[in-house]
Amino acid sequence: MSHSTPPDCESKPTSTLPEQPGVLVVRKHHFLVRWSHWLNVPILLGLILSGISTYWASPIYQHKPDPNKGNTDVAADIGIWICAHVPGQHHYSSPLDWIYNHMSLGPGMLALALRLHWLCAYLFMLSGIVYVAGLVSGGGWRSLLPRRTDLLDALRMFRYYLGFPFAKLTRHKWLHPRFSTKYNALQRAAYFSVPIAGFLSVATGWAIHKPMQLYWLAALFGGYNTARVGHFWLMWIYILFVVPHVILVFADGWDTLRSMIVGWSTRVERSEVVVK
Amino acid sequence: MNDKENGDDSLKPQQIPSTGVEPKQEIAESPEAGPEDTSPSVPIAIEKPDAVEAIKQPVDADGSRPLSVGHEPRTDESASSVAVKPVSVKKPQSFFGERPLPAIEMAPRVLRYQSRRDFLALGAGALAAVAGTGFFLPQDTLSRIGFHQNMDPPGKEWFLNKALRVDDDVAEALYSGTRRVPTYTKSQITSLKNNYNGSTPDPGYISVWKLTLEGLASGLSISLDIRNLLTRFPVHEQITRLVCVEGWSAIAWWAGLRFDDLLSAFPPMSQANWARVESSVNFDASGNPDPYFMSLDLATARHPQTLLATHFNGQPLTVDHGAPLRLLVPVKLGLKNVKAITSITYVAEEPRDYWAERGYSRYDGI
Repeated sequence: MSHSTPPDCESKPTSTLPEQPGVLVVRKHHFLVRWSHWLNVPILLGLILSGISTYWASPIYQHKPDPNKGNTDVAADIGIWICAHVPGQHHYSSPLDWIYNHMSLGPGMLALALRLHWLCAYLFMLSGIVYVAGLVSGGGWRSLLPRRTDLLDALRMFRYYLGFPFAKLTRHKWLHPRFSTKYNALQRAAYFSVPIAGFLSVATGWAIHKPMQLYWLAALFGGYNTARVGHFWLMWIYILFVVPHVILVFADGWDTLRSMIVGWSTRVERSEVVVK
Repeated sequence: MNDKENGDDSLKPQQIPSTGVEPKQEIAESPEAGPEDTSPSVPIAIEKPDAVEAIKQPVDADGSRPLSVGHEPRTDESASSVAVKPVSVKKPQSFFGERPLPAIEMAPRVLRYQSRRDFLALGAGALAAVAGTGFFLPQDTLSRIGFHQNMDPPGKEWFLNKALRVDDDVAEALYSGTRRVPTYTKSQITSLKNNYNGSTPDPGYISVWKLTLEGLASGLSISLDIRNLLTRFPVHEQITRLVCVEGWSAIAWWAGLRFDDLLSAFPPMSQANWARVESSVNFDASGNPDPYFMSLDLATARHPQTLLATHFNGQPLTVDHGAPLRLLVPVKLGLKNVKAITSITYVAEEPRDYWAERGYSRYDGI
């Protein structure tokens, strides 16, 4: 796929001559950052799927036993609701397991789910170390630090994203807010928070994995049960992050996606993006 | 990773002092400059400091021709117009301030070569991830997503056991014989569920119950009834948390003798490192006898909070909670806290473990 010059590598028409012009590129992502970024895809997927399988064994959110099925699990209730209301799911054989069959490795496999969860968790910590090493040696960490102006700029970006589909539909001009930094304020907020969430996931994970030897860590998170709840909700940060992250990288274009694979970008000058 | 990247890194120190525009970039980003900097009223020139950083880089990493030196890259024209603008305020680069990304001129051939290499690496990684998914996922899960043929590879159990062993080693390294687990007050006690799951044994066994000790230094087999145990050993009380592998936990008030006291009174043979703790009165879900056996390392057995519990909530244990004697080992998962113990055997090698044979870890230290 990369045998030809990438479309963004705009060479002058003279590029067919033996004296090819150089291409101006900027180094955007250190190779360790790129490695850990892609490693995180299967690792996080494995952690979430095995994590929800583990959750099945003792759900955090339970209610009094349901009079008909004896169910106590709120996640199972959602599955029952989906089977009753979502077209095509009416004949699903086990509504109680719908959530676990669709959003985890499956119910009733705690031993295997735990083994995979720990395998992925050790790899996740390794990947985190690689990421931090890449940020430090490439200097990329500076681009992630929040600025004093970020709140206002983030609102501006948010307004842009909200209005974008409407402007596109009505063929209005819709100016992308300008910024002279590597990331805009919303990106910075996301790329700054997600590594922190990663750190907290690891910390709450250890707190509930070793609540006796690391009892101080569990106490730091408000005790064993609170650490479990925190560990569960931290998972949602990745899910909530990944969805717009993937949509926006495709919306932003090939150069952005490619830069996370090859490290460089041909966007050496930033100009405003006008949607017509 | 490759000589190309290293080559770039070595250039960076030269790049930074060589550019006259960096302070300008700093102004644009400094918090003091205010949000106006990003507003559309700012001249577009400020948006282009990166381009000014362009540096000629003689690229010959993979033996390609060096660039023609005389050629001006595309963005240099606009960049030089920025460069001539006078910069009135110069600020030192702060340690936390974002550095502009240096632009480098690269030969298209080198870029193509590097891109091909990185894309191939990503593709190989993606294939490995898919293969790994097929390798690790349980057959049930694979069947659900449409792979019905049995793909349980032979090395899978071995690999997962290795991974589990690493986690066990970490748990063992974290263990300390003197570190006590947190204790609670009576007001913090929570309800404790009976995890027999409907197979609570018939209480008939209690009247004939005896604890058998084997693998002792004396070579004898010792049989003790509950009265022997309660009169011979001091009783200790503790309110500790019991944590189940399933994720739930309960704070409960226990009393009993210390396992360590039993070890002192009836010392195990010198080469023993493990205790095999068994309950022969356990039943499976369909009501058939299903002896429960568990391995316990003697270091954990000697922990001061490892009890052979006889009382729960100030009352003698009920059948639900393992009458008349259960193991209470708060530094381990609940599945090591054997109810209704009938025998303890000291052995040199790690004995079999009921739940380890069903895919859980062996050490289970928490």
